[in-house]
Formats: sequence, C-alpha cells, structure tokens
Amino acid sequence: MTRRPDLGAVTWLVIILGTCLILFVFQKVLWLVVPALLALALYYCLRPSVRGLVGIGLSHRTATRAVAGILFLVTVLLVIFLLPVATARAAGWKAMMAHYVQGGLDFLVKNEEMLAQKIPSLRESSILRGAPRDVDMITQQFGEKYLGTLLWQMVHWLPSLLLTPYLTYFMLQEGNRFKKHLICSVLNAFFEKTLLLFDRIDTSLQNFFVGLIKLTFLDTVCLALGLWIFGVSSPLLLGLVAAVLAWIPYIGSAAGCVLVVLVAATDFPSQPSITYSCIFLFLAVRILDDFFFLPLTIGRSLQIHPVLSVLMLFLGAAVAGPTGLVLVLPVMGVVAVVTETMGQIIADERLKTRFRQAQQLRTAEVKLLGP
Amino acid sequence: MKAPFNLFNHTSDLPRINELRAISLFKGLNPRELREIDELLHERTYQKGEIIFDAGDVGLGLYIVVSGRIQAKSSRAGADNLSAEFCCGEFFGEISLFDDSQRTSRVIAAEPSRVLALFRTEFFSLLERNHSIGTKILLELSRTVCHRLRRVLMGESPASCP
Repeated sequence: MTRRPDLGAVTWLVIILGTCLILFVFQKVLWLVVPALLALALYYCLRPSVRGLVGIGLSHRTATRAVAGILFLVTVLLVIFLLPVATARAAGWKAMMAHYVQGGLDFLVKNEEMLAQKIPSLRESSILRGAPRDVDMITQQFGEKYLGTLLWQMVHWLPSLLLTPYLTYFMLQEGNRFKKHLICSVLNAFFEKTLLLFDRIDTSLQNFFVGLIKLTFLDTVCLALGLWIFGVSSPLLLGLVAAVLAWIPYIGSAAGCVLVVLVAATDFPSQPSITYSCIFLFLAVRILDDFFFLPLTIGRSLQIHPVLSVLMLFLGAAVAGPTGLVLVLPVMGVVAVVTETMGQIIADERLKTRFRQAQQLRTAEVKLLGP
Repeated sequence: MKAPFNLFNHTSDLPRINELRAISLFKGLNPRELREIDELLHERTYQKGEIIFDAGDVGLGLYIVVSGRIQAKSSRAGADNLSAEFCCGEFFGEISLFDDSQRTSRVIAAEPSRVLALFRTEFFSLLERNHSIGTKILLELSRTVCHRLRRVLMGESPASCP
C-alpha cells in the first residue's frame, strides 16, 4: 500500500480509531470474519486460475464452478482425513506437549549450569533462580485449563470454516458484479475517484494476500530444509507452523523460534550445538525474509512506520485479543488507503463544484417538470 | 425489481451484447469476448449540461457513448477546431487509457446521455491476460485516433455527429 508521507495527525488519528473500531466489530463476529478472510485470500490466489480458464475459452461461470468445485473437494477431503487423525491423537497431545516442554526446560537448565560455571556470580542471581523447573505442574495446569477449551473451540470452528469454499465461490462468481453495483450507487462527480479507490484497495489486498501465501511457502521450504539437514523430527510440519506463526508480526516469529528450540532440544538432549544451529537457522531465515523474500512477495505493501506498527500491535491485542494481533496491520493498511482517498475526494474543490453543478441541474429539471 | 447481484438466475444477455457490438471500439470482438469486456465496463447516466470530466482532471480511463450526445471543448485559447461532438457508439478520453496525464478538454453531456467507462488499470489487466481482445481493441483505438488526428491536421473538428 503506497503511502504518501504527508498524512496529517488528524488523519492518522482517524485511521487508528477506525482500525480499532473495525477490530472490535470483527471480534464480535469472528465466526464469520475468519472464513471471510480465508475466502478473500483464496479469492486473490484463485482469481488468476479463473481468468486463465476464461482466456482459453470457458465461460466465466463454468470457470468459477470448476475452480470452486476443486477447492470444495479439497476442503471436504481434508476434513474427512484430518478430523479422525486429530481426534485419535488428541489424547496424546498433553503427554507430547509435556515431553517437549521438559526437553526445553532441560536445555535451559544445562545452559544455566554452563553459564554458572563460567560466571560464578550469576549462580545467585535472580535470572537463573527464577527459571521454571516444575514441568509436570505447568503441563497439568495447561492441560486442565486450556487443552479442553482448545479442542472444543476447534470442533466449534469447523462448521464456520466450511463456509470458506462457499464464500470463495461467491467472490469469484459475483465479486466483480457486486463491485460494479457498489460503484453504480456513487454520484457522477465522485465516480472516477471512487474507481481509483476500489482499484487501490483491490491491488493492496491482492499484493498482501498473494504475497503472504508466497512468503509462507518460501519460509516453510527454507526452514523445513534446514531442520531436515539438522535431523530434527517433522521438519515440514515445524517449518509450516513456524511460517504460519510468522503471520503475527514480531511476536509470531519469536513463538515460532521457541517451538523449533523445544523440538530440537528434546530430539537432541545431549547435543546442544544442534539446538543452537536451529536458532541460527531461524535467525538466518528471518534475515532472508526481511531482506529478500518480503520485498519479493508482499513488497513491503504495508508501509507503516515500525514504531507505529508495534504500538498498533499492542492496541490491536488490547481491543480484540489474539485476533487483533493478527489482523491489526492489514486492517490498518486498508483503513489508511480508504481514509487517504476519501480525504482526497472530500477535500477536492473541483469535485465538490461538479457535484453542486449536477445538483443544480437536477433541481432545475425537477422545477421544469413540476406542477 | 432487479436484484443487486444475480447469483442463480442468469437471464439472457443478448440485448447487452448487441449494444456492445454497435460500439466501434469493440467491432472485431466475438460474443464471448464482448461478455468479458462487459465485466469491465461501468455504466453512467448524465443529464443535459452535466460535466463528465474537466480540463485539468487526472485522466483515469475512456468513455463510450451508448445514447445521447457528448460535447468536448478544449480550454486552450484559439483551439476551437479541437472541440468535438460524440454520438452513440463513439468514444472519448482515450488518451488517458495510455497515461495518467491531465485531461485537455471539458466534456459535458449535450443531452441526457448514457455512457460506459473503461478504467485504465482494468483495461491493462485485460491486456495482460487476454492478448487477443487487447490487440483488437488497440487496433480499433489506433484507427480512430489516426482518423481524428487526420481531421485535426486538415483543420476540421476531430469528431462530429451527423
């Protein structure tokens, strides 16, 4: 989203307030927002396929049905195959989680001891003494408090996620017509600028979603390859989870790194060098991400100042919890484009004059036709 | 009452296709290509005397006259021969299809008119994905621009209604 640097303080205040309001509303209808956002991402990813099929001679309707049909089939197959697997393994999740947390804590304790040997003054410091050691209690509490809720939420979310293929089909089939009808309702004086606004939002969202999918793919491949070379178990799954976690700016990357460290430390308890290598791998992928992949994919489409980004992350989390954390930056990007363009439309004297002229013509016509 | 968007009931689009076929710009297109181009067109209606665009506006696309009559007047002094009139099937504002420079004329509806707008970025995206349609439209566009240029060089108005 190309941002002009001259946005005023009032405009930014409107953008921030608008973003918070949208996040607040989103949180209330999360069951619809999540499938709608997934559908939006799929729409932008599948639109080229539909256009390609139209280009080789299929009608738009047939092309949309073919693409949406394949998507629906894949979703149904995923649900059929993954749901029984997840249900069967759910019982073992608590033990598995405890196993990996224990591995991570052991790694931490070994590092503490090593540090204490090298720097004896650290032995009595609160940093080393404050580290958690009772893994059984931690996992027991987590299992009792959150695991059941997590599973229940997954079952609860499944029906609404099945809306995703339908919404994608609707967007592919009727999206353009819907956009045209929206534009139809705009007054002639503001028509061209509104078209420009729609185009900018469309381009921004396309860049963001398609870029995000490409970025996730590249991150997954790099991480999985590195973890596979180091011999860490389930490298592809770990890489994918870490890449998806990276969707949450800053915090997600850290969470992904912790996850990789836990698995590596558990798989190789007597070889801490492998765990360190995994941390370096993670850092290397992050650097690759920031300097090569991100400009190549999303193209730094959300040109928001880093300080404001971090502040908005906190604000988003405060307003809408984890949802706010994930959605705050893309929502803010779109709100910024809308506010900026709306501001340009409202402040354009030429457009206002043209609007007044059209109103006068309409009034004169009504008077002429009147009794 | 017509539904805002038609999800299940796709009525025949033959009248619309015939309407588009009558437009010089789409002369070489077959019905399937006309349907594809129709997805990109935005219909607007203007009352007599209403400004469609003004000299100095940033151009975003071209307009095609479906019904009515449109007048274009250059803002430059002594450029009376650049004033033009566009009737049903003709198009105007084509320069902005190629760049985002400012409009050079004020264009108003000389009578109640219905026009179709073709937005530059949408046209470019069509050019990228369907070269066949793009080539046909560009060829027709070039022909008309050449014809208008020839008229201007001969001291005539670039376009006028019979």
